[in-house]
Amino acid sequence: MSDFSIDVREEGDVVIIATDGYLNNVGGEKIAKTCYEKIETGKIHFLLNLEKSTVVNSIGVSIIIEIIEKLQDHNGKLGYFNLAPIVEKTFSIMGLTKYSTIYASEGEAIAEMS
Amino acid sequence: MVSSTDTDQFEYYLSSLDELGEILIEADKIESVASGILRLTLGTIMASSGAIFIFHKESTSVSELCSIGIKNYSKPIKLSDSFLVNIKVYKYGHLDYDKQPDWIDSDFKEYLLSSKIKTIIPLFHKDTLLGILCVGEKFMSEVFTNIDYKILEIISNHLTKSLFNYELIKNVEQKKQELNIKLLELETLFDIGVAISSVLDIDELAHDVLLRAVGILNASKGMFVLQNEKSPISDILSKFNWGEEKFLLSKNIDVFKQMQNGNRGLILTDSHKTDLQIKLKEKNLIVVPLRAKQHFLGYMILCDKETRSGVENFNNLDLDMLTSLSNQAAVAMDNAKLFKEITEAKQFNESILGSIATGVITINSIGEVDSINKAGENILKAEKQNILGNHYMYIFEKNNEIIEIITKTENDKKICSEINIPFLTSSEDTIINISVAPRIDMNNNTEGVVIAIEDISDINKVKNTFKRYVSKQVVDNLLDDDTNLKLGGEDRDVTILFTDIRGFTSMAEKMTPEKVVLTLNEYFSEMIDIVFKYNGTLDKIIGDELMVVFGAPISSDDDTERALKTAIEMQKKIADLNKVRGKRKEPPILVGAGINKGQVVSGNIGSRDMMDYTVVGDTVNLGSRLCSAASAGEIIVSGMVKKYTEQLFSFKELKPIRVKGKKDKIDVYQVRY
Repeated sequence: MSDFSIDVREEGDVVIIATDGYLNNVGGEKIAKTCYEKIETGKIHFLLNLEKSTVVNSIGVSIIIEIIEKLQDHNGKLGYFNLAPIVEKTFSIMGLTKYSTIYASEGEAIAEMS
Repeated sequence: MVSSTDTDQFEYYLSSLDELGEILIEADKIESVASGILRLTLGTIMASSGAIFIFHKESTSVSELCSIGIKNYSKPIKLSDSFLVNIKVYKYGHLDYDKQPDWIDSDFKEYLLSSKIKTIIPLFHKDTLLGILCVGEKFMSEVFTNIDYKILEIISNHLTKSLFNYELIKNVEQKKQELNIKLLELETLFDIGVAISSVLDIDELAHDVLLRAVGILNASKGMFVLQNEKSPISDILSKFNWGEEKFLLSKNIDVFKQMQNGNRGLILTDSHKTDLQIKLKEKNLIVVPLRAKQHFLGYMILCDKETRSGVENFNNLDLDMLTSLSNQAAVAMDNAKLFKEITEAKQFNESILGSIATGVITINSIGEVDSINKAGENILKAEKQNILGNHYMYIFEKNNEIIEIITKTENDKKICSEINIPFLTSSEDTIINISVAPRIDMNNNTEGVVIAIEDISDINKVKNTFKRYVSKQVVDNLLDDDTNLKLGGEDRDVTILFTDIRGFTSMAEKMTPEKVVLTLNEYFSEMIDIVFKYNGTLDKIIGDELMVVFGAPISSDDDTERALKTAIEMQKKIADLNKVRGKRKEPPILVGAGINKGQVVSGNIGSRDMMDYTVVGDTVNLGSRLCSAASAGEIIVSGMVKKYTEQLFSFKELKPIRVKGKKDKIDVYQVRY
C-alpha cells in the first residue's frame, strides 16, 4: 500500500503540515497525532497543505472534525490550502468549511492566522 | 448545619432553581450542563459527592459524564436486562441504595459502594432510560428530607430534559452527517455525469471515476481494469493506493467470468476464497462490471472499507453506489471511445478532402458554408475564414447558374451537375465542372448540400492546344495519365498514314478558288472525323495531302491496326462521297494512301514562335513515298506494316519499288478491302 506521509514545519505561531497520500483513516490519524502533540507544546494554529492529497474519504473528514473540536477547546484554528477541487467540495459538503477556513495560498493563510 | 428559617430555606431553593435556569441557558455542551447541574444539585441538598452517568442504548451501558467528590470513573459500566427492568420502578422517584437490591449488577454495585452513593435517581424520558444521577451522603451524615428529594426530583427532570435534548441533537448531527455523505454521493454521481460530457480522454476519465469511487465508499484502494480484446490478460487502466506491485489479471479469473455472465457485482469477504482475492492478496473486495449497452468493457475493484475502528465488509448500499458509478463510467468511456473514432474519421476525411484537387464546399440547412477544403479555397481564390458562415447566395452572387443548381438540389433532393461553366466568382477565365448533392441525415432529412467544384481551366487549355491534332479520346487519355505525355523529343515506334488526292492540281485548275476550298473542306472534314474516330494524331495537312500518326504522343498495341482501319474507312468514305459528288455533277476525288511503320523522332519541333508536335525520320519519308506510289483508291503498305497486321487484313504483294534515298528496292503490299 502507498504510504501516507507528512512534513511538518512552523511559520511563526502556525504549524504547517504538508500531506502526501490518501487522506483516510491512516492519513487522518497521522495528522491528528501530529496536531495533538503540537497542542501539548502550546501550538493552537494549524495549516494543512493538501496539494499532494487529492483523495479524501469520510473517515478522514471525521478525524479532521475531531481535530477542529479539539482546537476549539483551545481557541485554536485550522486552515487549509492547495486543495484539489474534489477535496474542497467534500470539505464543503461535509461541513468542515463552517468551522475551518480554506485559503488561496500559504501566504494568505499565515497572514490571517498569525 | 446551616440554621435558617423556612423563608430563608425557600428563598435558597428558589435561587437554586434560578441558577438551574441559567445553567440550562448558558451551557453549550452536555458535559458542562451536566457538571453545572450536578454542582447545583449537591449544593442545594447539601450532599458531598455525586455523579451523572449517560446511558448508551446500543451497548446497554452507562458512562460517566461528570462527578464531584468521587474519583472519575472512565470505564463504561455494562447494565443487565434485570437492572433495566427493575430500575423502571423508580422512574418517577429515587432508589435509596442503603437497601442494596440484588438486581443491581456487580460492576455498578462495586462503583456505588466504593463511591459511597446513597441515592440513585434514574433519568427517564417517558419509557426511555437516558442516564442515572448518583448522589452521595448528605453533609454531616444527615438524612435527606422530603424537600431534598422533591428538589432532587425537580432538578433531575431538568437534567433528563437536557439529556434528551443532547440525544436529540446528537441524532440530528448524526443524520446530518449521513445526509452530507448522501449529498456527497449524489454530487459525485453528478460530477461523473458532467465528466461524461466533458472528459473525453479514457485514461483521465477512468482515473477520475476511480478516485471518486475510492473516496465515496471509504475504500482503502481501488483499481480500474479494462478487458483487452486482443489479449487474454486484462489491462489495469488505473489504480490507486496499490503501490508499485504489478498484477497479472487473466480474463479467466472466476470472478471476472461471473461478471461477463451478467452478474451485476460481487461483495467478497473473508468467508470467500476467490481467485481474485488470492491474486490481489486481499480479503475485502467489491467488484462491479463496466458495461455500456451490450459492450462489456471491464471491471472496477475496490478494497477494504474503512471505519474508525478498522476495516469492515462492503455492503449492498456500497454495491449499488459503485454500480451507479461504474454504469456512468462505462457510458462515459463508450462516449470517449466513440469520440475518438469520430475524430479519427473526421481527420481521415479532412486529410482526403485536403489532398484532392476538387473543391468541396458544404452548405448547412440554412444555406451557410460550414466547411471548405483547400482546393475549394484555391478555386474560390479566398481564405477559409472569409468563406465560412456566409450564405451561398453571397458566395456565388456572380454565378446565377450555380445558385440555380444549388436551389434545384435543395428542392429536388437529387444530385445536379453542370460541366464547362464559367466560374465568374473567381474569374472569367475559370471554367468549372460542378456537382451539387444533398446532405442527407440519418432520418433521411436534407441538411444542406455538398458542392464539388472541379477547375478545368487548365484542362481546357490543353484540350484547345491538342484538339487540333488528336481526337478527344486521346486528349482525355493524356489528361487522365500524363505519364504517357512526352513532348520533349524521343525515339518512338509509330505507324504513319499518308493520303493524297490524285490529280488534284489539274482538277483545281478547272474550279473556282471558292469551289476548291469548299471541296477540300468537305473532303478533309470527312477524313479528319475518321482519323479522330481511330485516335490518330493529325500531324499536318499540306495542300491536299494528309499526314496522320498512330503511336504519338501516346502509343498502344493496335496503332498499326488502327492506321489500316483508318485508311480503309477513308477509301470507303471517299467512294460514298464521290457518289454524292456525281449527283452534283462534280468530278470524283481520287485518293491514294500509304502506310509505313518504324522508328521516328517525335516532339515539339519548330521555333519559339511557331512550334508543332510532329514526327520526323526515314519512316516518315518512306510513308510519304508509299502514298505517292499508290493509285487512286489504293492503300499501299510496307513489309513492316504487313508483318504486324497480316493476321487481321488481306494483302496483295506488289512489285518492289525503288524509292529516293534507298539503295535497295522496297517490298510493298496492297491492302484488300
